Amino acid sequence: MSSIEEFASMEKGREYYQKLVEELERLNERVHAFNNINHGISSGFPFSAKDNLCVKGVETTASSKVLSGYMPPYNATVIKRLFSKGFSFLGKTNMDEFGFGSFGINAPEIARNPFDERYVAGGSSSGAAVATSILKYHVAIAESTGGSIATPASFCGVVGFTPTYGTVSRYGLIDYSNSMDKIGVMARVAKDIKPIFDLIRGADGYDSTTTNSPITSINKKRLIVIDQLIGLVDQRIRSLFEKLLDKLNSMGYSIEHRSLDMIDASIASYYIIAMAEASTNLARYTGFKYGLKVENFEKGYNEFFTDARSAFGEEAKRRILLGTFVRSANVRDKYYFKALKVKDLLFNKLNEILKEGFIIMPVMPIPTPRIDDARKLTPLQVYKMDALTIPPNLCGFPHISFPYGYDNGLPVGAQVITSKFNDYSIINFVEEWEENFEYKFKYNIGEVR
Amino acid sequence: MKIGLEAHVSLPTKSKLFCSCSTIASEPNSAVCPICMGFPGAKPMLNEEALKIAVSIANALNCKVNEMVSFVRKVYFYPDLPKSYQITQLYEPIGINGYVECCNGNIGIRRVQLEEDAAKIIRGDDYTLLDFNRAGIPLVEIVTDPDIKSEEELRTFLTELRSILYYLGIDIEGELKTDLNISLAESRVEVKNITGIRNLIDATRYEIQRQEKLIKSRVKVVQETRSYIEAKRETIATREKETEEEYGFIPEPDLTSYGTTHMARIKPIYASKIAEEYAKAYNVDKKLIAELILFDRHALELIDATKDRYEMKFILNGIELVKKYKKRDIKVGAFEKLVELIKEGSYIDEETVSKIEKGESIGAKNLNLETIRKEVNGLLTPSIIADYKKNPKAINFIIGRIAAKYKVSPKEVAEIVKKELSGQYGD
Repeated sequence: MSSIEEFASMEKGREYYQKLVEELERLNERVHAFNNINHGISSGFPFSAKDNLCVKGVETTASSKVLSGYMPPYNATVIKRLFSKGFSFLGKTNMDEFGFGSFGINAPEIARNPFDERYVAGGSSSGAAVATSILKYHVAIAESTGGSIATPASFCGVVGFTPTYGTVSRYGLIDYSNSMDKIGVMARVAKDIKPIFDLIRGADGYDSTTTNSPITSINKKRLIVIDQLIGLVDQRIRSLFEKLLDKLNSMGYSIEHRSLDMIDASIASYYIIAMAEASTNLARYTGFKYGLKVENFEKGYNEFFTDARSAFGEEAKRRILLGTFVRSANVRDKYYFKALKVKDLLFNKLNEILKEGFIIMPVMPIPTPRIDDARKLTPLQVYKMDALTIPPNLCGFPHISFPYGYDNGLPVGAQVITSKFNDYSIINFVEEWEENFEYKFKYNIGEVR
Repeated sequence: MKIGLEAHVSLPTKSKLFCSCSTIASEPNSAVCPICMGFPGAKPMLNEEALKIAVSIANALNCKVNEMVSFVRKVYFYPDLPKSYQITQLYEPIGINGYVECCNGNIGIRRVQLEEDAAKIIRGDDYTLLDFNRAGIPLVEIVTDPDIKSEEELRTFLTELRSILYYLGIDIEGELKTDLNISLAESRVEVKNITGIRNLIDATRYEIQRQEKLIKSRVKVVQETRSYIEAKRETIATREKETEEEYGFIPEPDLTSYGTTHMARIKPIYASKIAEEYAKAYNVDKKLIAELILFDRHALELIDATKDRYEMKFILNGIELVKKYKKRDIKVGAFEKLVELIKEGSYIDEETVSKIEKGESIGAKNLNLETIRKEVNGLLTPSIIADYKKNPKAINFIIGRIAAKYKVSPKEVAEIVKKELSGQYGD
């Protein structure tokens, strides 16, 4: 039974939600999963929305000071669809500013790993993963551009599903990189993913990139490991992953190895495209229509804009600068258009491999880092950590991350990738895996004993 | 002399280019939404009607219409630009390499592209207001080659362009926003943001004179960007740098590519060409027929409906009357009656045209224009003509007498008298 069905069958009144919110408030002060919590929730299955999704009348900042106080005048399409089926909005979840980060540390408040608060939750959908990990009955609507669902889901021990690009409308999603942003779902069990995915997906008259292509569930019982990617993985994670492969093999899956030699190029390609698009998306934050208000009206507009834009965080500023550079006229061919070519090339190669079966690999090449250690990493070191999540994200392939073990009390996750529109198959795969695996959670807010 | 234009034409669509907001609104900031205001998370959706009109324009200007068209983001910071980038075209515009036939040759059309307008800036003494009703209105930018060689050719080209667009359903008379490139010597001067056709011609004339003067006194014309000051009817240098601006174009990732081959195009009508043909075929004045049909679809329809049965000069006379008395809705059947009367040489006044248009009987007045003309002529003695030259009122008694005698309006008689005086009937 999915927890959505279980929840529906439970007796619960107003007090249930009051208690839920109270307990959540208390824990949230420590783990910072939520940027704001809806105290008015009183019925329905709770969902949270990453803070880059517009909810009408609810402060939506994408964890950026630049957007402080911004109350969207409209609901994102996914929010509208969830409301139409009686799901209840529980709050906005924490994230790296505008989605710029892999560890959740580029935010005013850092989301903490609920298994050990000294450790990162992962990013950029840090709060969504923490919320899923601490709430018994809840689904998180999260978003991934280059790994922002798989990474935090893996660190927080929950299931993180990133659908095929174009299946879920991005209308109302505060853009990071429009050609790669994908709205997805996090849940404690794979069974909760499919009904939510079915509810939020489908063509939308407000997003030209959405389609109504039918979703399939073709499973070839074959798992493919890409040697160059596994080669990047830290020894401890690698040996855990080998054990997972053995287990899957015993479940009837054949394991095969393939070679793919453009990993560095795909990281570069991803960051060039993402930053180029991000730098145009962030151009609109100039401090006089919404968000942060700058009151120095006696200045010229350029100085005025500069003042407003000084409120961006360091990583946002870095991406604006790099993104603006790679799309400037004299280097555009050398960087931006070359990156698009690499993307096409990678897509074709992966697509061929995916015809044979699922690609499987760890989510992160390292064990969950401590917050202090993550802060010491250089930007380039951080970007390189996305090596495993970038290929499916850059190419828009559906993928799902799931916990398969615990190391030093912290969850470890793997991800499975499939062909476009074969999304159901990987959700089913994790459901099958769950039959032989016991999830662990430290908190179960909302549980009725 | 080389003159080239970048002309921006707003399209007559009901809704904006990327959202469903109305293109017509009186109250400032009333036709706005998260999309045209550039709110976070909002995405553009292409208005297919705008695409269809843009394709029709490119087609009418003899462009190669791209089979697939796409959009880009042009990034720059200005308060009137909601997203700090404009959605416009670069790599696959609507059309390229077209031309307009005029000025004894062709004026090249380099490209035709579809893009969104910015908000309107209203400047006060110590404040600036923004009206976002205009933000997102579809614009077509028409870029010409520098093929225009004089002010006269510019006028001719603009008339031709206006007429072609008029027949596609687009009126640019008051709205045209143009950047002007003009060089008499080697240096190219760009005059930006000229609103309206009259200002465009004034700015061109000013620039020609200014550059001529410089050349005459052997002063080098500086390559620069200038701005037209309407109140002073002159151009002034702006502080803008002449280097190629850096817009950091990237493909617009929220829009896909759009096919144009299946798209129905509005059939172009080249009225000046038709005027030329008819002038030749029916031996009438080309200028007269052009004046009547360049910006009047109804006139052209009336001519085409009757030209096989009546003499062209009577038809044109009929069109003149229809225009003069603003009976533009006259049906073909009624118009034929009018032409019959003209053919018979009847005296026709506003009342007559009105009655014909409404299908009423014109009664027994049945006056012959020739009768009146003869009588007027008899009264116009040399001494009266001499008096008239000193004092135009000298002919008033003639007008009064004739009007009373035939019970027709003094205004009409006055016209006949004046035409008679200027010898326009040309006996």
